[in-house]
Amino acid sequence: MKAVTWFGTLVISEDGNAEKCCLVEKDPEMLAEHMLLAVGNEELPAHGLDLRELAIGCGFVELEEDYDVLLREVCIRAAKRQISMTDTDDKRIIQAVEAMDDIDKAANELSERLTEWYGIYFPELELTAEPMARFVARFGSRENVPEDHDMFVRASSSMGAELSLVDEDLLRNFAASLCGIYDARKRLERYIMNNMGAVAPNLTNIAGAPLGARLISLAGGLEKLAAFPSSTVQVIGASNALFKHLRSRAPSPKHGVIFNHPLIKGSPWWQRGKMARALASKISLAVRMDAYGGKLDPSIKEKLERKVESIRKAHPEPPKKQSTKVTQPGPGRAGGRPVKKRGGQKKGGMNKGSKNTVDRSGGRPA
Amino acid sequence: MSIEQLSDGIFEVVTDDRKILATHNLYPGHSVYGERLMDVDGVEYRQWDPHRSKLGAMVLKGFDIPIEYDSHVLYLGAASGTTVSHVSDILTDGLVYAVEFSPRTMRDLIKLCDQRPNIIPILADANKPRSYAHIVETVDVIFQDVAQPNQAEIAALNSKYFLEDNGHLMLSIKSRSIDTVASPKKIFKDEVKKLESDFGVEFEVLQRKELDPFHEDHLGLLARMFVEDEE
Ligand SMILES: C[S@@+](CC[C@H](N)C(=O)[O-])C[C@H]1O[C@@H](n2cnc3c(N)ncnc32)[C@H](O)[C@@H]1O
Repeated sequence: MKAVTWFGTLVISEDGNAEKCCLVEKDPEMLAEHMLLAVGNEELPAHGLDLRELAIGCGFVELEEDYDVLLREVCIRAAKRQISMTDTDDKRIIQAVEAMDDIDKAANELSERLTEWYGIYFPELELTAEPMARFVARFGSRENVPEDHDMFVRASSSMGAELSLVDEDLLRNFAASLCGIYDARKRLERYIMNNMGAVAPNLTNIAGAPLGARLISLAGGLEKLAAFPSSTVQVIGASNALFKHLRSRAPSPKHGVIFNHPLIKGSPWWQRGKMARALASKISLAVRMDAYGGKLDPSIKEKLERKVESIRKAHPEPPKKQSTKVTQPGPGRAGGRPVKKRGGQKKGGMNKGSKNTVDRSGGRPA
Repeated sequence: MSIEQLSDGIFEVVTDDRKILATHNLYPGHSVYGERLMDVDGVEYRQWDPHRSKLGAMVLKGFDIPIEYDSHVLYLGAASGTTVSHVSDILTDGLVYAVEFSPRTMRDLIKLCDQRPNIIPILADANKPRSYAHIVETVDVIFQDVAQPNQAEIAALNSKYFLEDNGHLMLSIKSRSIDTVASPKKIFKDEVKKLESDFGVEFEVLQRKELDPFHEDHLGLLARMFVEDEE
């Protein structure tokens, strides 16, 4: 009988002794490679082979201890290789998401500066953020705006101050840097889109790449996300500790980032709580599969779609009963000031609250 | 503080008001998962948290642990090595083959292996014993904690490949992952039946118990394997 073992290929006699030994070179790296290649070989030993005895019998090692030491070293090497081959590193996704947040913060600040600064020279421009940066980087002085441009009329009749060459140069440079930052953000977005499928195929299938990446980042890793119960998944991104990643977003209500999913945003307010629970539970399931190295399983999404259908069917109309407490303006809500605190509001209040409550879900998509 | 030995390498550190399950730390000064280190008469023990280890729970539920100081153990579902580390403590002159199929988890397990010379890590699927049959020798004990619906099948298949005649199988059965409503008794019976069904191996069940209050919905099983005579 021929048998492939981790240390070589053997021919074994009826009585279980090695007749012939074709040994692998006694070098851990070579052995590790052989160990991995041997997987799937039809001639792996079946049952009851005493590998240790055979290794000694073939003269591969002299002592049992040598066998242990070498086997352990080779197994560790082989496992390390396998790990580095499975390219499922969530850490680089986290870095990309956090870099995007940093960029948002920086870009906000710089674009505010540019708006204010350039406003001296062209107050009628009314562009902000990226379009403004692109405009300034391209034209500099409003005198350079060509006739066929939308802004030509405004530019030629502007009451803004004259722009000296030195200042123009400075401003254009500043705007160009800002454009570079916006470009970098787009590259990061693309990177996340392109890589999430490999890192977490099931999560990406259910949540989409941007939201999936944000969940991983907020949780601190795929494994950690997988360890959360789905009730936690539903509010990830809402708690203060996790909030710093979201600082550049609109003031967010008490629910988590998953409310940015089109399934919830696109549903009428009375269905949103139920949708959120269904989505969170399927996200949990998907993440667990991914964390254990699972392949894409389309049945999770199918189940979600069925659940979504049944929610839509079961709750086509808004519930009649309205909680009087919430619809009557309370003492703390007069005067149109931003509402800081609302006493007694519960986490799961989304599905029960009035329209007021629901409309606060205006966070930008991740 | 004083020490009572429960079985090979497994101890209880007795303090004034309680008993703490522990193993003798093979790698002194280092805790693996945040567990407490205790010095008793100049020897360092590591607390073994039965809530985080099915095997630890089995010890406290009165199972006769078949792992001896020089055993060779095949551990299926090693995860990041919480329990494996205690098995490693016990095996002062033995070896544990630790099989785990999640690459992420394996990364932590390898860190543990770097500290402990008696753990041999194998990144493989326990459903496919063939894929590590060129590595694993015949063992005295198989311990399995994979939390999979087909756990009985995995155990039987691996026993057939690797367990020596009369060797012991220790099985943590997650009842929720099989059947949500059946009674523990029925689950046991079904699982044992599955163990003995298709693989030409037979087991004598030695002990069976629920693992509560340490692990809800988990059953522990200790069995000894016979190989059916070939006619
Ligand atoms: C409940 S955890 C084990 C915990 C571990 N025994 C301890 O006490 O520290 C189950 C582990 O089995 C692993 N697992 C599940 N199915 C497996 C399979 N077919 N082959 C190998 N490992 C598997 C999972 O990745 C997970 O890490």
